[in-house]
Amino acid sequence: MATEVLMPRQGQSVESCIIVGWKVNEGDVVIEGQSLCEVETDKATFEVEATAAGTVLGVFYPDDADVDVLKVIAVIGEPGEDISGLRPETSVEGETSDVESSVKEQLVVESTPSTSNIPLPTKSSGSTGASPRAKKLAAAKGVELDVLAGTGPNGRVIERDVAAAQGATLSPAAKAKAAATGFAAPGMGTGIGGRVLAADLSEVAPQDIAAAVAALDFPGAVNEIPVRGIRKLVAGRMLDSLQNTAQLTMNTSADARTMLDFRAKCKAAAEARGVGGITINDIMLFATVQTLVDFPELNAHWLGDKMVQFEDVHLGMAVDTPRGLMVPVIRFANRLTLKQLSAEAKRLALAAIEGTIEPDDLSGGTFTVTNLGAMGIETFTPVLNAPEVGILGVCNVQLKPVMGKGGETQFVPHIGLSFTFNHCAADGAPAAKFLVALRQNLAAFDVLLVK
Amino acid sequence: MATEYDIIIIGAGPGGYEMAERASHQGQKVLLIEKAYLGGVCLNWGCIPTKTLLNSAKHYVHAKEAPAFGVTTGEVSFDLKKVMAWKQEVIETLRGGVAAMMKKSKVTVLNGEAKLLGPCRVEVDGTVYEGTHVVIATGGSPFVPPIPGANQDHVMTSKEILSIDEMPKSLVVIGGGVIGIEFASFFSSLGVKVDVIEMLDEIIPFMDKGQAKRFRAALKGTVDFNLGCRVTAIDGHDVKYVDQKGEEKSINADVVLMSVGRSANLSGMGFEEARLDFDRRGIKTDEQMRTNLPNVYAIGDVTGKSQLAHSATRMGEVALNTILGKPDRFRMNAIPWAVYSMPEIAGCGLTTDQAKEAGFNVETATLPLMMSGRFLAENGKKGQGQVTVVKDADTDVLLGVHMFGAYSSEIIWGVAAMIESELRIEDIQQIVFPHPTVGEVIRSTMFQF
Repeated sequence: MATEVLMPRQGQSVESCIIVGWKVNEGDVVIEGQSLCEVETDKATFEVEATAAGTVLGVFYPDDADVDVLKVIAVIGEPGEDISGLRPETSVEGETSDVESSVKEQLVVESTPSTSNIPLPTKSSGSTGASPRAKKLAAAKGVELDVLAGTGPNGRVIERDVAAAQGATLSPAAKAKAAATGFAAPGMGTGIGGRVLAADLSEVAPQDIAAAVAALDFPGAVNEIPVRGIRKLVAGRMLDSLQNTAQLTMNTSADARTMLDFRAKCKAAAEARGVGGITINDIMLFATVQTLVDFPELNAHWLGDKMVQFEDVHLGMAVDTPRGLMVPVIRFANRLTLKQLSAEAKRLALAAIEGTIEPDDLSGGTFTVTNLGAMGIETFTPVLNAPEVGILGVCNVQLKPVMGKGGETQFVPHIGLSFTFNHCAADGAPAAKFLVALRQNLAAFDVLLVK
Repeated sequence: MATEYDIIIIGAGPGGYEMAERASHQGQKVLLIEKAYLGGVCLNWGCIPTKTLLNSAKHYVHAKEAPAFGVTTGEVSFDLKKVMAWKQEVIETLRGGVAAMMKKSKVTVLNGEAKLLGPCRVEVDGTVYEGTHVVIATGGSPFVPPIPGANQDHVMTSKEILSIDEMPKSLVVIGGGVIGIEFASFFSSLGVKVDVIEMLDEIIPFMDKGQAKRFRAALKGTVDFNLGCRVTAIDGHDVKYVDQKGEEKSINADVVLMSVGRSANLSGMGFEEARLDFDRRGIKTDEQMRTNLPNVYAIGDVTGKSQLAHSATRMGEVALNTILGKPDRFRMNAIPWAVYSMPEIAGCGLTTDQAKEAGFNVETATLPLMMSGRFLAENGKKGQGQVTVVKDADTDVLLGVHMFGAYSSEIIWGVAAMIESELRIEDIQQIVFPHPTVGEVIRSTMFQF
């Protein structure tokens, strides 16, 4: 009898694990407890061990595959055994439709000789059946599969569901209710000796009740969103950044009269000049890049045992997209004119938002600018896009009282700047000096253009 | 200072001493503190002495009724001194039994008044004892309402009346609950004129209403029931009350028994200072008997949840399981109760009214105990008693069984097992009962649906 190897569930919150690498190939002979592969969650790496001794008959997912927990990832058995029934209905190669998978489930049921002579309860609608091992155990222990809540793929009842159900005795009233309603029985009830009473059966699956109990402090409907894809990536990078760098933020503001003036002129310019689309953000990117070339220690990567300073500025630009935060990179930003920079920034932002951006455009930055000014943010603490050493947060434009030459008070528009840097790589003085230079360049933006 | 005990239990009633024994059996180091006698109210002033007295009364009644069953006796008399001596002997024997059980279980028993100093700390006579867990099992006491004249010597609670040295000629029982009915039954069967004055419109609040009426009818001629009556004063030997119609009335009696209820023992033990959460009904606990203080539990009458010895014992087991990390909860739906009057009354689960109030689609069936051959043989054609079965018509699940008549108290535990198992009527119909027994009537009643 072939033995399934499942992707283990590593705690309640883990929905899937990534197979880091297989240590065995199909055809290898393994002993029970031998490590078959290494898998990782977002928190830890661990090993999946062989649950039985025998020959590895099937390895169902390649390295780097992200596999839902409790899916069958491999099968161990005797050479020549038919394992087609155990092969997961969905694999990383492509999702099969629900219809196809349910057809496959039917085949699984029919091709299992060990249970064919045992009358099993008919499947309740909505269930996707039970694994052969689950059925065998259920038949041996007299557990009714129908009343079990499957924790396998698509709610399939697997062996451990049956094992868990053995502990629970249903009262006659509970059995009657389960049969009438199809409600699932929890592993343990509130009756005498943990007996499952009719009141313990509810429409909600037991594991959902556990989740609901955990959410009791938050009455009302809840929406659970598995952390995957960009969210997972961003989360990992942000935590990594905060944990592994000594980052701090300096806040200042720059006289914005010249740049606002310039922007107004661009907007008012003849269309043929092609400068009408130049935004405050483009101006900020340009000023940052032109300032940064004089501060190589901030246009750098901190790699722990060494620092890498870059001659050119490859400028990361934080973009809010429907799929989450993305940071496309403007290559050789220091070599571009304002007009070229503006055009490239627009192209990349659009591609990021539309989801057509090339993966290569999302890596290789040496410094990042993130702009929340349009949303009225006055100051903030940008998180470093590690291993980059600096990130400039651009804030909104506010009027600031400034004493004029004659001692009178003038209200001058200022743009807020929040600069985060890695104190491992640079000290406060050069960082402050960078901000001073940036302020000067912004205040005399027209001069910067002729540089 | 190192923790001296795993569990400190305050109060050695059926909640405290049973828990001490079980905890010790589970390898826990237990300190049991009692200010009076081992066994608590149950053994010394409650369940046991009343059952001893009631048994003597039953012998008396049976002897008087014996000629009808073909046994001729001489003059039948009741020797109160001897009865009281036997009562005392029973108490002391059982007290010795509990002491021996504590000794065998290696439970440390301390005589003294305990004061809770906080979680883990209890003071007795100036010495502080530390325990990982503290269990409060301080029980309850008869409640004496502030009625003018209630402080006279011949106005007694269940405690004092157990030690009378002379039979009263007449007795007024204020409060028709379990205690009041048992004493009314005891004294009336010995020829004492008994009046029960109850404020509510029926005796024994958790009894099936229809059965309560039949029970009262069974006592007709021996006990007078004055329901819906409020006692206003006890003027010498005159108990004054206002009846249902608002008329002022008075009953003269040698002795007055005050049995309007019991209240939790909450004062003088530092509960307030320790910031224990309680109100006048008792210490608040969850289903695992945990109080608001960490590692402090409360069980029995002091919780106000259920004033029954076996409830206290069960609560102690739940508390112990919780301490030991075993999942358990105090389920209230299948606690049997019994009144050891003549005839006996017992019940378990919901009455018809309670089930209706709980929203069940209720169906009931009733049979007289006379259905049982044994019952007829032993009680004669005038024997009183019946069984009422309450079920949920939608699911066929048994909700309650209520009965009165001989042996009821010994039968009712089976109903607790049925309800705990959530059996349906059709399941119970498959259980075999021995024949001929009175309990068989329960089975027969199940077939009336």
